[in-house]
This record gives sequence, structure tokens and C-alpha cells, in this order.
Amino acid sequence: MVKKRVPDWLNSSLWSSAPPPDDERLLRYASKYAAADRDEPPATDPPAPVPPPVIAREEPAGATKADNDDENGGAESPSGEEFARQAQLLAVLSKKVINVRELRRIASPGIPDSTGVRPTVWKLLLGYLPPDRGLWPSELAKKRSQYKNFKVEVLTNPSEITRRLDKSTSCDNDESKFQRRGILKRSEITHGEHPLSLGQSSIWNQFFQDAAILEQIDRDVKRTHPDIDFFSGDSAYAKSNQDALRNILTVFAKLNPGIRYVQGMNEILAPLFFVLRNDPDEGNAAAAEADTFFCFVELLSGLRDNFCQQLDNSVVGIRSTITRLSQLLKEHDEELWRHLEVTTKVNPQFYAFRWITLLLTQEFSLMDILHIWDTLLSDPEGPQETLLRICCAMLILVRRRLLAGDFTANLKLLQHYPSINISHLLYVANKLRSKPSG
Amino acid sequence: MSSSGKGWNNSFDYSFKILVIGDSGVGKSSLLLSFISNSVHDPSPTVGVDFKIKLLTVGGKRLKLTIWDTAGQERFGTLTSSYYRGAHGLILVYDVTRRETFTNLSDIWPKEVDLYSTNQDCIRILVGNKVDKESERAVTREEGRDLAQRHRCSFLECSAKTRENVNQCFKELIQKMMEVPSILEKGSVAVKKQILKQRELDQPPRQSSCCS
Repeated sequence: MVKKRVPDWLNSSLWSSAPPPDDERLLRYASKYAAADRDEPPATDPPAPVPPPVIAREEPAGATKADNDDENGGAESPSGEEFARQAQLLAVLSKKVINVRELRRIASPGIPDSTGVRPTVWKLLLGYLPPDRGLWPSELAKKRSQYKNFKVEVLTNPSEITRRLDKSTSCDNDESKFQRRGILKRSEITHGEHPLSLGQSSIWNQFFQDAAILEQIDRDVKRTHPDIDFFSGDSAYAKSNQDALRNILTVFAKLNPGIRYVQGMNEILAPLFFVLRNDPDEGNAAAAEADTFFCFVELLSGLRDNFCQQLDNSVVGIRSTITRLSQLLKEHDEELWRHLEVTTKVNPQFYAFRWITLLLTQEFSLMDILHIWDTLLSDPEGPQETLLRICCAMLILVRRRLLAGDFTANLKLLQHYPSINISHLLYVANKLRSKPSG
Repeated sequence: MSSSGKGWNNSFDYSFKILVIGDSGVGKSSLLLSFISNSVHDPSPTVGVDFKIKLLTVGGKRLKLTIWDTAGQERFGTLTSSYYRGAHGLILVYDVTRRETFTNLSDIWPKEVDLYSTNQDCIRILVGNKVDKESERAVTREEGRDLAQRHRCSFLECSAKTRENVNQCFKELIQKMMEVPSILEKGSVAVKKQILKQRELDQPPRQSSCCS
């Protein structure tokens, strides 16, 4: 028999009986936002505090519904600890130059929804906003206008470009102007630009290639969070939000020809846009598309390798990331690792590929994702390490069911992960920072 | 709960692995949803692989279908190859309104389907989805039939949206699988148990070193 290397805390009362202070809320937590079902008005939110963004979930756990009534009073009111965190958070944010290290520390266990500062904190954590508040107005203005230019360049169709080109070549080759704009840098434009031209460099050829990507983006945007009014449905609000997602993904794909668009980027983009679009500051909410674009670029810069097929088998690619998860599990709970991978032959790729590439966005409800992302984005090491610890904690938290399950049962459980107390999950994940003793 | 694993195993006679492939957006997941839960809605894009189970009885035999729903986008190709291993059935789906999904399928056939299927007798069925959009049709029924004939497999057109022919696709596939003795043998639970028993006898009880 193999010696089990289960750390003490694993078998403690931690998850078997009553874990940390707020854990009796385990089930209620998941349904906290379940009963809400109204259309969020676009930019007319009251300044502060922001109501928790509204989501209609599919499982409105009837038994716990009564608890939602006293959401502001009874069991759902923030604990003393949470109040303290709120106060700390607001204090840190009010400084002229924000201490980002301090901010990371406070935001890590989760940003209370009631504060309405999540959009600002995420922008800081992602490095989109500089720590010096004095620089914010100019920085934001610069970025927003930059994005506007990207959009003009990228979303312009070829007939418009050729028309402008004809104009420019006829009036004495104003090439530098186009060079600077950045659209046509790599393709030599000849006088013969023409939709039927087969030249690789033809902007029309490029256009037809792009069309396939645009169709792909469009198909995926339409099926992003189909159960949430913010993203889906026939309302003008949902339509405008879909347009924003489509624009961001298109601009990103065009500016990053090495990656372009990979399915699942829509899922990563969605929480970012949702948070920024629900900023209580109307000006920020109105500029959410531009701000989200840059935040998305920042976020992906740390995860890009997972999206790149050429790197799949390299040390930085997704396969090796999945292997690291497997090793992490083996290190902390060898019995579970052995049961999963050796006995029931559940290749971690079957579930963890999606967990990792999508930053868990398809495993939990949107509100839970925001909470998890507070932690992911707060980690100074970058999101990947934290993510692997959270994935490992997800396995450990359902270890009893996994140990009792066969291949089918286990894969089914891991592909449809049960809703759990996120604070607890993050607490357990954080515990995995330290090497197991013994 | 504790005996659920065993009860599960005893409740069917055959266990088949079925793989669904095809371009992104042709409706692979929708087709499965339509078959498994009778539901008709647009699911999120599949990333990696999704895994579905269907239990049913055919000709007095209780079957467990383990259906592997793969991601369509080319980027996931390096991963898809590993899903073919041990598949008894393969459903190749294209969208009758998008011609490229049909040509891509005929392109990957020799490169992927023939290359990765480890099971020589793996049953294949070609499925043209979205026939509810007849006015937008870009691939004729004859073209579909020709491709299927060239690869000696079954062919059907269906609509995950209206559920037309959806059950038929699976019925056809299952019937074919149950006509092939080698597949029946591989899918047989009784045979698997014997093999397992044999292995236990052959091998000393010590854990072999892992290599995954």
C-alpha cells in the first residue's frame, strides 16, 4: 500500500463539519442572486452603492428562497470581517498614489459587491490604471482614443480602404499616412487591388480570411451566457453589449495575427466586460468597451500560451500546465491523485483543459466567477499559479465523491462541478500554497 | 450511494464509446442535447471535450453510451486526436448551410479519422445538420450521400432544432455497432470484467509504476 500523504488540515473538521465562520451559508450562498430577474438599466445606475449585478440563474433553489428577502439584513449581511475589508479597501483606494501591493492583499479574499469598486480595483490589478490617481484622466483619455482608432482601422471594410487608397495614390502617394495608421503595413498595395485578386497580400484575400473569423466570433458572442439578460435576449441593452464583445474580439484578433480568435476567449472576456459595464460611474460605464479591451489584452498576456496550438506540447503550453495541476494534486493528496489518474483513468485533460483555458468561467455562476477572479487577479505571481491551486482545491473538496466514483461518475462530476461555497474554495486553495508536511 | 458504482455497472450489458466530430458551430452539442434530453437550445461553444451519457435498451439489451462531444475549432485539433482512442462509433457532423464545414470534413477524413481511430471496425455515420434551413442549403443531399459512399459509411440529414431524424442518427449507428461482433465483444461488460479479473490474476497486487 502506498502511504497516504494527506495533510492534517485535509482531514480536519475543515470540510467534514463546520468549516470557517460563514460556512453555514454553504447552500444559501449559491442562490444568493438566484431570485433576481430584472433587466439592469444601462447607464442609469445610482452612483453608489451598486446593487449586486443581476443574473438569472437556472437553479433558483426554492428551499432557500426565503433567505433572499432579507438580503440586506439577516444572514446575508457582511460579516464584521467583511466590513473591515470594505473599509480598508476604500481607504487604500482613496490615497493619491495607491499602494497596489496592499490592494492585492485586501482584494484577494474577494471584493464585497456592495462597495461598487470592483471595476476600479480590477483595472488597477491588471495594470490598466496607474497607481497614481492624478494620472487617471489623461491615461484613460489616451487609451480610449487609441481604441477608437483601432476600431476605425480594423473594422473598416476593403472597399473603403481601396477607395481611400485610390484617393491617396492619385493625390501624390501619401503613404506615410497609412503607415502610421497601421492597417496596411505588411501588405504592399498595388494599383490592382481587386476582389478577385488571388495574391496573398491582397487586402481582399485578407478580408475573406477575416470573414471566417468574424463569423466564428459572431456565432460565439451570440451564445455567451445565454441564460443572462445582460448578454442575451432581444433587448437593445443585450444587443449593444453583444456588439461590444464582438468589437473587442475582432480588434484583438486583427491586432494579434499569431493567435487571432480562439474559442473560449468570449468566455474570458464576458466577466471583464460585465464588471466594467456595471461601473457605478457613468462615464466609466460608457467607456467600458475601450477599457475592457485593454484589460482583456493585459489578462491574456499572461495566459496567451494556453491559446496557442503550436505551444500545446511545449513547456509553456496547456499540456504542461495540466501536468502541473496533476503534480500539485499528487503532492497534496496522493490517494485522490492515484484514484483519479491510475485507478479510474480520468485523464486530467478531459476536465482541466476547460477549467484552465477558460479561467473556470464555465464551471460556476457569473457571480461566483467574479469572486474567484478577485483572487486570481490579486495574485502578484499572476493568475496561473492561483488558478492551479483553485483547480486542485476543487478536486480535493469533492474527494469523497471522487474516491467512490468510477471513470464515468468522476468525469461527469468534474465536467459538471457542483455549486459550492466560493469563500471556502478560495480558503482551501490558499492553504495549498505551503508544501504538505510529512 | 456506496454501491452506486457497482449497481451502475450491472445495469447494462454493453458500454459503447461514441465520438462526435465536425467544424465549430455545425451543431454537434445541439444534436446531442436534442438526443439526450429532448431539449432544443443553443449551448455555449465546446472547449476541449464534453462528455455525455445515455442509457437505453435496444433489442432487449441494455446499453450505456458514453458520448464524447469534441470542440470544433481547429485550434483544439492536437487534443482531439487523443479522444479517438477506443471509440466504437463516430458521428461526423457538418452544416448543410455552410459548404466549408462539408469540405473540411472530407479533408480531415484521411488525415484524422482514418489515422486516429484505433478501432478498425469503428462504425461511422455522416450527418448533415440544420435541414430546417432548407432555403439556405449549400450542400445537396446527393453530395452528402456520395461522400458517405466513398467512405462506406451511413448517411443521414437531420435537424437538431426540429429534432427531425435526430433519434434516427443514433439508432442507425447503434444498430450497425450491434451487428459487428468485434465491437460487441469490445463493448461487452461481461467480457471486460473477465479481462479485468484475468489481469488481476496475472499481475502481482503491487501498484505498477504510473506513466501518465
